[in-house]
Amino acid sequence: MKRILTLVLCMSLVMTAGAAAAKTLVIGSMSPLTGPYAADGNDIANGVRTAVEVVKASGGIPGYDDIKVSAQDTACDPRQAVAAANKLMNEEVPGVVGAYCSGATIPASQTLDEESIVMITPASTNPVVTERGLKYMFRTCGRDDAQAPAALKFIAGPLGAKSIYLVDDKTTYSQGIADQLEKIAPEAGVEVLGHDHINQGDKDFSAILTKVKQANPDLFYISLQNSATGALMVIQAKRMGLDAALMGQDAVYHPQLIDIAGKDAEGMYLTFGYTDTEAPAYKEFIAAYKPKYGDPGAYSAYAYDSAMAYLKAVKKAGTTDPDAVRKAIIETDFDGASKKIDYQENGDSGSNYVIRKVEGGKFTNHWNPETGKMF
Amino acid sequence: MDYFLQQLINGVTLGGVYALIALGYTMVYGIIQLINFAHGEFFAAGGYMGVIFISWLAAQGLDPYVCLGLSLVLTMGYCALLAMAVEKLAYKPLRHASRLSVLLSALGMSIFLQNGLMLTQGVYDKPYPTEITQGGFEFGLISISYMQILIVGITAALLVGLNLLVFKTKIGKAMRATAQDKIMSGLVGINSNRIISTTFAIGAGLAAAAGIMVGLYYGSVRYDMGFVPGIKAFAAAVLGGIGNITGAMIGGLIIGMVEIFAAGYLSSEYKDVFAFIILIGVLYFRPTGIMGENVDDTRV
Repeated sequence: MKRILTLVLCMSLVMTAGAAAAKTLVIGSMSPLTGPYAADGNDIANGVRTAVEVVKASGGIPGYDDIKVSAQDTACDPRQAVAAANKLMNEEVPGVVGAYCSGATIPASQTLDEESIVMITPASTNPVVTERGLKYMFRTCGRDDAQAPAALKFIAGPLGAKSIYLVDDKTTYSQGIADQLEKIAPEAGVEVLGHDHINQGDKDFSAILTKVKQANPDLFYISLQNSATGALMVIQAKRMGLDAALMGQDAVYHPQLIDIAGKDAEGMYLTFGYTDTEAPAYKEFIAAYKPKYGDPGAYSAYAYDSAMAYLKAVKKAGTTDPDAVRKAIIETDFDGASKKIDYQENGDSGSNYVIRKVEGGKFTNHWNPETGKMF
Repeated sequence: MDYFLQQLINGVTLGGVYALIALGYTMVYGIIQLINFAHGEFFAAGGYMGVIFISWLAAQGLDPYVCLGLSLVLTMGYCALLAMAVEKLAYKPLRHASRLSVLLSALGMSIFLQNGLMLTQGVYDKPYPTEITQGGFEFGLISISYMQILIVGITAALLVGLNLLVFKTKIGKAMRATAQDKIMSGLVGINSNRIISTTFAIGAGLAAAAGIMVGLYYGSVRYDMGFVPGIKAFAAAVLGGIGNITGAMIGGLIIGMVEIFAAGYLSSEYKDVFAFIILIGVLYFRPTGIMGENVDDTRV
């Protein structure tokens, strides 16, 4: 009897807790908060938090007393990402912003989609993410299959490089982009002199750089998952006396690159989605983000826009019902902090890669592959 | 030929770093038969304390090279104290417990120290001032940076110093005696607890020196930087014959060279594979490692 009583008591407690929490909208955030990609991961979680703060400050969402963020750690690991997705499912979040690494986003989205939870990735650029016909999967950033061609356009065009040497660190994302560039480069008349791979956590690149120096390419393309590792490679390349121009992709792109590599990063080219830092939406984002979390990282604005897109859709639909939210996400276009947000039926919102260059200790817009002009 | 020489220089530099870390593993193992898994964390702590001391001393307006030398000494001292504290806290109470308990305690200490470093220093990489280490020599296609010379030089000096300490001084003799027989050395008046503590301090000091040099050479440090080099250095210690000081130096150099040559002549992604194939191969034919374990009094 006592046992049954306890059980009833427990259940009633759980139920009242559920009833009390119904007025709070909890959105999930998934990103690597620990491990080698913790820098980008925390940027993403902070971007989501900023969006929630901004929405709350401007009156919140009708029908909800409060909006909260449940930030989960994926550590950029497929298994931990699925565990994080399960945890968010148990917390009954209706929508998730994340994850960072494509290798983590792909399995986690499978789990979330089965439970009809909307997922918007701010940073996973691997094409597969939106190509599996998942109904509730959206992507704010661009796609790698747009990034490699944009890079190649610049390499073969204004840069005039005749030969390249590629290196990647074997993640779904980083190797995907290097493999594609290797494949399409000969079509543009650029010879691939070599394509090497490094291991995660490596710090010493003297052997590989000696190899690159001997091959003597016009351009050394660095496709790594981590900007700090990229910075180490840049420092060592300069110390080795490598003459080739250096180019990285959007994961090497991070303020950390310049912090660590300093002068050695000068003149390096990177592909990254075009963000108009003069636009009102970006200024609104910066005003909310900077006082609390410091300078934004590469994906802070994308995470902010992803969370904004979700919150706007919930507001428009007046419910968290996944199908209604999905419809609202596709229908709602707005000027985001990172770019113009316009999700298509397949979940993508377009790519707008431009070539940026490190000049005077800052990233500056350099060349636009769309128009073929310098900025 | 140029290519080979350049890779050889790269290999010696990396090998020197591994050797310095490997010594700590081997000395501690020699004296209390413990594989100190927290050893990689002393290396990481050294990297962080190095950049803290260097920036602080540079702010006092000291000459960069004086700064560097002073930071090296201060960092080694700091990590030596840290290691003594860790030993007292996590290993000494378990001196008479089973070896497995001490091993677990070491693993726990490693996790504790690494996460402590993450919480206090943050998840971002900490950049080292690279101005001091710019430049180098060029011989045709071969380039040797000042930093490589500095690493090899400091490593060699520390190795010579360690050898003198262990084989020519009274404390070295006491260390060797404790390693051979703790009870007997106690009977002849050697304070074995103090000797064990000293051994930890020396090992951690060498790891700290490696940490600061790695920070300078590669340009930044990160809280989890101790893990991978820790594993490699442990492999180097086993390869050379764990418990044997000369073995650790040779093992470190071999692992460093194999890695560089595998990356240089095959592919970078296979370098770890080859480093460990060498390890397995040597252990298959010589289970006690290249130099062999506890051959008379060379063990510490």
